[in-house]
Amino acid sequence: MFERRLSPTNSVTAIVLITIVSVVLAFAVSIVLFLPFDPNPIRAYASLFEASFGSARGLGMTLNRAVPLILVGLGTCLAWRSGFGYLGFEGCFLIGAAGAAWFALASPAGSLLGSLPFLVWIVCALAFSFVLGGVWSGGVGVLRSRFGGNEVLISLMANYVAIFIVQYLVSGPMRASGSLPQTPRFPEHTWLPMLISPQWRAHAGILIALAAAGLVWLLLARMRIGYELVVTGLNPVAARYGGIDVGRRYVLAAFLAGGLGAWAGLAEVLGAHHRLLDGLSGGLGFVGIVVALLAKLHPIIVVPAAILYAGLSVGADALQRSSGAPSSIIAILQSLIVLFVIAGDFLRYWRIRLPVWARSK
Amino acid sequence: MTEDAVFVTFLVTWLTASIRLAGPLLLAALGETFGERSGVLNVGIEGTILLGALAAYVFGLHSGSPWVGLAAAIVVGVLVSLFLAWMYVTICADQVVVGIIFNIFAFGAASYAYRLSKDSVDSTSSLVVMFPNLNIPYLSDIPLIGPVLFSQSIVLYLIVLLVLVSEIVLFRTTFGLNVRAVGENPKAAESAGVSVRFVRYVSVLLSGAGAGAAGGYIVLAQIGLFRETMVVGQGFIALAIVIFGRWRPLYAAFAALAFGAAEALQLSLQLFEFDVPKQLLLSLPYLLTIVAVSGLIGKVAQPAALMQPYKK
Repeated sequence: MFERRLSPTNSVTAIVLITIVSVVLAFAVSIVLFLPFDPNPIRAYASLFEASFGSARGLGMTLNRAVPLILVGLGTCLAWRSGFGYLGFEGCFLIGAAGAAWFALASPAGSLLGSLPFLVWIVCALAFSFVLGGVWSGGVGVLRSRFGGNEVLISLMANYVAIFIVQYLVSGPMRASGSLPQTPRFPEHTWLPMLISPQWRAHAGILIALAAAGLVWLLLARMRIGYELVVTGLNPVAARYGGIDVGRRYVLAAFLAGGLGAWAGLAEVLGAHHRLLDGLSGGLGFVGIVVALLAKLHPIIVVPAAILYAGLSVGADALQRSSGAPSSIIAILQSLIVLFVIAGDFLRYWRIRLPVWARSK
Repeated sequence: MTEDAVFVTFLVTWLTASIRLAGPLLLAALGETFGERSGVLNVGIEGTILLGALAAYVFGLHSGSPWVGLAAAIVVGVLVSLFLAWMYVTICADQVVVGIIFNIFAFGAASYAYRLSKDSVDSTSSLVVMFPNLNIPYLSDIPLIGPVLFSQSIVLYLIVLLVLVSEIVLFRTTFGLNVRAVGENPKAAESAGVSVRFVRYVSVLLSGAGAGAAGGYIVLAQIGLFRETMVVGQGFIALAIVIFGRWRPLYAAFAALAFGAAEALQLSLQLFEFDVPKQLLLSLPYLLTIVAVSGLIGKVAQPAALMQPYKK
């Protein structure tokens, strides 16, 4: 009845089907979690999606929440497809946020930076935080390619170091007067502008994220350097044989991924908070990785996957306010989805072969 | 107080705290040593520690006995590792990916379960009964050494015993030989009649038991409460300790002491007025880990089949 394949099927239908079934299954399992708070879990889900996609305001918040996820997800696509198992996006996020915060605070009205037109200013800010984040992660790439360091553990540890750096900055050198450890509010001309109308709540970060998605796709699918990165990821030995300097490709992948992670931080402080504060990232760096995994490391599919995950978390916050169901349910749901996708992958090794009597003539 | 007395106080508090803080790191690292020796990098121990801590808290609170709490933590650690082992060994999924996602899942599950349990417990009696410190007669009266070595929590002495047992099991028994063989060359081990799957399952369960116990230790011998935010990288540091300890329980013990000392330094240095930012001291264990795994201090020979799923 069931027959094992020699190699997993690569048909798009199978992969899409497994993903959809996994999402549905994760939602079904998570119903149990809503029961203590809402006897009607279907209604809970309905109000969850109503809050995140049902109104212009909710949709705007969802898009805002999706911005860092898209950027981190893109960084994950780039690094992981190059064979660089980077997990340090929390750190890049914070370093990028701190860099953008410094840049914004260094641009008060009337100063040299502050008198630049916004478009020029934002390009400078993007470049500045990209380089900061890129150097932060590129260092890990150098350790890996020059000294054989373990990039998985180094990047995990560097996350905590970045947390302490931001904590130090907001409680020491960059602290605003007041009781809370945070920087002063940025001057208003450095904020990312609102899109369409202020009621929409969506800021221009989504444009940065979408542009980045296009660029990463272009790089990986259409450019020579991207091809070299992907080959390095698929088989470093073959890549080296083909004349690709594998070590440099790791460093490049790390640099670009870190820069994208830093943009996530930039969008978050310039778009949403308008100041740097402690506890800013709150696991976004990891959820972004999960988003990329759900998208099977494809830079374009990262966008809808991130919007789905962002919608879940916006909806969960609304649900917590209305019915008291803790928003940690969403962490469970988000991780279950991808765990099911991974576990479901083994289905690709099997095919259904009807017994002879059941086959049509 | 004279200068000397301040210094002795500093030394005693620092060393005592070093050993106390090394406890959970070492417990998790001991289990992880078995996992990695069999070829499975279990990044999910971070989340397992958190779930173990929650179990220890809930069961410790309701039973009033730290031993019940510790047992519950170990049981929970083993149960969740059964799932992890299935993903690692049977499904042959990418080990780092599964571990990372599991950590997010564990964080969500722990804070959810804590919310539910908090509604059933009144908040006035939220402290659990902790393991008492065991003062070994006479020995604990020795100045300096006494309070540091012979007046620690009872679990800590058990951990020392566990280090020796792990060392013997890994290097002096057939099971240990099988674990190492499976981690070096699973194909050869399989053809010699060793079940790779079985050995890896058991090793992952051991790493889960160690991580669960580590969570229990944090609640029952260090803090006495549960917070969702109390596991901040201890699991990841344990991974570094395994590498630092060259995949040997005995060396891992010394590595854990070094990390415990780094963690304890910022607590003890508060005795002095230093112009060092607190955050620099707090990041010391993490910086130490980065140096340890950066490859700068010599390349270490990891088990050859580490992170490689075995397909029959």
